[in-house]
Amino acid sequence: MNLGEATRLAVESIWANRLRSFLTLLGVIIGIAAIIATAAVIQGLNVYVSEKLSNLGKGVFTVQRFGLITNRQDFLDAVRRNRRLLPADGRAIAQHCTTVREVAWETHASTDLKRGLEEIRDVDIGGITPAILAIEPYDVADGRILAEHEQEGAVPVCFVGNDIVDRLYPGVDPIGKPLRIKGLDVTIVGVAKKKGSFLGFSQDTFVKIPFSLHQKLFGGHRSINISVQAADPDDMESSIEEVRGVLRARHHLAPRHADDFSFVTSEGINSLWRNLTATIFSVALFVVGISLVVGGIVIMNIMLVSVVERTREIGVRKAVGARQRDIEQQFLIEAVLLSCLGGLIGILLAYGIATLVAANTPLPTSFPVWAPPAAFLICAGIGVFFGIHPARRAARLDPIEALRSE
Amino acid sequence: MNLATNMTPGADAVIRTVGLTRSFAMGSTTVQALRGVDLVIRRGEYVAIMGPSGSGKSTLMNLIGCLDTPSSGEYWLNGQPVAKLGQDELAHIRNQEIGFVFQTFNLLARATALRNVELPLIYGGVPPVQRRQMAEQALREVDLADRMDHRPNQLSGGQRQRVSIARALVTRPALLLADEPTGNLDTATSHEIMLLFARLHAAGNTIVVVTHERDIADHAHRVVTIRDGRIASDEPNRPAEAAQA
Ligand SMILES: Nc1ncnc2c1ncn2[C@@H]1O[C@H](COP(=O)(O)OP(=O)(O)OP(=O)(O)O)[C@@H](O)[C@H]1O
Ligand SMILES: [Mg+2]
Repeated sequence: MNLGEATRLAVESIWANRLRSFLTLLGVIIGIAAIIATAAVIQGLNVYVSEKLSNLGKGVFTVQRFGLITNRQDFLDAVRRNRRLLPADGRAIAQHCTTVREVAWETHASTDLKRGLEEIRDVDIGGITPAILAIEPYDVADGRILAEHEQEGAVPVCFVGNDIVDRLYPGVDPIGKPLRIKGLDVTIVGVAKKKGSFLGFSQDTFVKIPFSLHQKLFGGHRSINISVQAADPDDMESSIEEVRGVLRARHHLAPRHADDFSFVTSEGINSLWRNLTATIFSVALFVVGISLVVGGIVIMNIMLVSVVERTREIGVRKAVGARQRDIEQQFLIEAVLLSCLGGLIGILLAYGIATLVAANTPLPTSFPVWAPPAAFLICAGIGVFFGIHPARRAARLDPIEALRSE
Repeated sequence: MNLATNMTPGADAVIRTVGLTRSFAMGSTTVQALRGVDLVIRRGEYVAIMGPSGSGKSTLMNLIGCLDTPSSGEYWLNGQPVAKLGQDELAHIRNQEIGFVFQTFNLLARATALRNVELPLIYGGVPPVQRRQMAEQALREVDLADRMDHRPNQLSGGQRQRVSIARALVTRPALLLADEPTGNLDTATSHEIMLLFARLHAAGNTIVVVTHERDIADHAHRVVTIRDGRIASDEPNRPAEAAQA
């Protein structure tokens, strides 16, 4: 008997028991849907992270007081050990490092902004040396970015995110308008292009002012994040080493002491993120693996029931010339088709879930292209693995005994 | 025809058995269903097998039909020894050389008459178009041309049995075996089926029919009687009705 014929038989048989087939497949459906939906969310976040979170360009790294902290002990050590980074550190890097093209820094504070009756709470006010805009560029929607001389003179100007304009200056051209920060009127000179939100947090609620102005308004005690652009983008490592040397010397660290500052690179952010999502995914995979095994056992069980129910049919087929392998093939194909059907429903369900999640939650999703083929492969594997035993049992039935069964 | 001529192996012997036995283990005891059967059936013969209930008729038919393997003894089908063949080889013989008709029809309930008749051809690897033509032809031969798309539960008992006869015939086997083909049918329908067998015999088929009823056996040209797992008598018969058909 050829494959087409066996497939047709299997489809007929699955269709004849469609409710039972569907119920049988719940385990597989849920397992496949769960893992693909998880993958869709993770992949969506991945795209987001690589595009938006780590917008450090090639050859760019930052020096921060606290880097990417992944556990409590690291955090406690860093708090105890790491000193605030000061503008003098930035200037030292600019002065002494030869493998560095550009050095800039930024510090953060937050305050409430008001205009008329409108108020935005806890707006991130970044004090920047304008060169940072060359290292970590912002897309300008309107006006311009800050200029170098405005830093030197602590000129009261600012470059703002889209939310500020949307909420405080609706329907008004904001350029040239004053924005009151800590009691000082600061002139808006530019607006950034909208970046959207990530995990529900708007990326557009910020104000950038000259670093010198920031120190005046918020005091000079805050640690800064220093952004460095390596002269050779392909050899960021040398620049990092050079900066490390300069800062250690400045901080008078003995060789046995650990760095009291840390580096953040986009590679570092990405690998941290990948580790995190790999952990989430493998936990999900483990749980789903169990559900797939259970699903497979249910399929095996229903196939064994099916073999018993259809003993007579098997006898008839054998009586007219079906060989063992014909019967085995028929039941195996039925099991594989059944579990692949579960996979198909699971894929569709996952697609639905991913779409719903993207539409109704802040989580971005991206449906992975590898998911359907992988799901079918896994389901075919489950079908073969759990279908082989019932199929063999059917194939080995004695024709006469099978015919005699009720 | 006497016993001695039956024992002579001939080139035209479709069936030849020597000392065929079959026993069934039933817990600690064994049931001797067949105790040594020597039987020769030639091409073109129409043989009825009779005997009391439990005498071993079905057991013998199953062995002849290659549905079962003997405990001991030899069996040649068309000159080919089959007693020691494996499952797949037996399946091939069932498919190609034997048409089996059961008392309980044994049709697939979900399949149409046509699909049921196509079944042996599917396992014989006949391509779909040819398969369909052959199945339609076989159904026409049993006068069911107008019932091809009916399922078994949409057919009468006699029609079902004719579907199963068409299924047995469709591969053009050397041998048509029927174990009480009229056992589940009323007298009129039984008569109709026996006329069909007579016609198939006239068309050159070799036929072996198991029956309890004398008037069914009377259609055959030879009557073999089995008692306690042995052949008790083996006599020629003048089939009055078959001659008319
Ligand atoms: N699978 C089996 N297991 C045990 N005993 C069996 C089996 N098949 C047949 N027998 C026994 O073998 C003997 C012959 O049975 P068989 O079915 O051949 O009789 P039969 O002549 O066809 O009877 P009937 O006319 O009632 O159909 C019986 O005693 C029966 O109990
Ligand atoms: Mg019987």
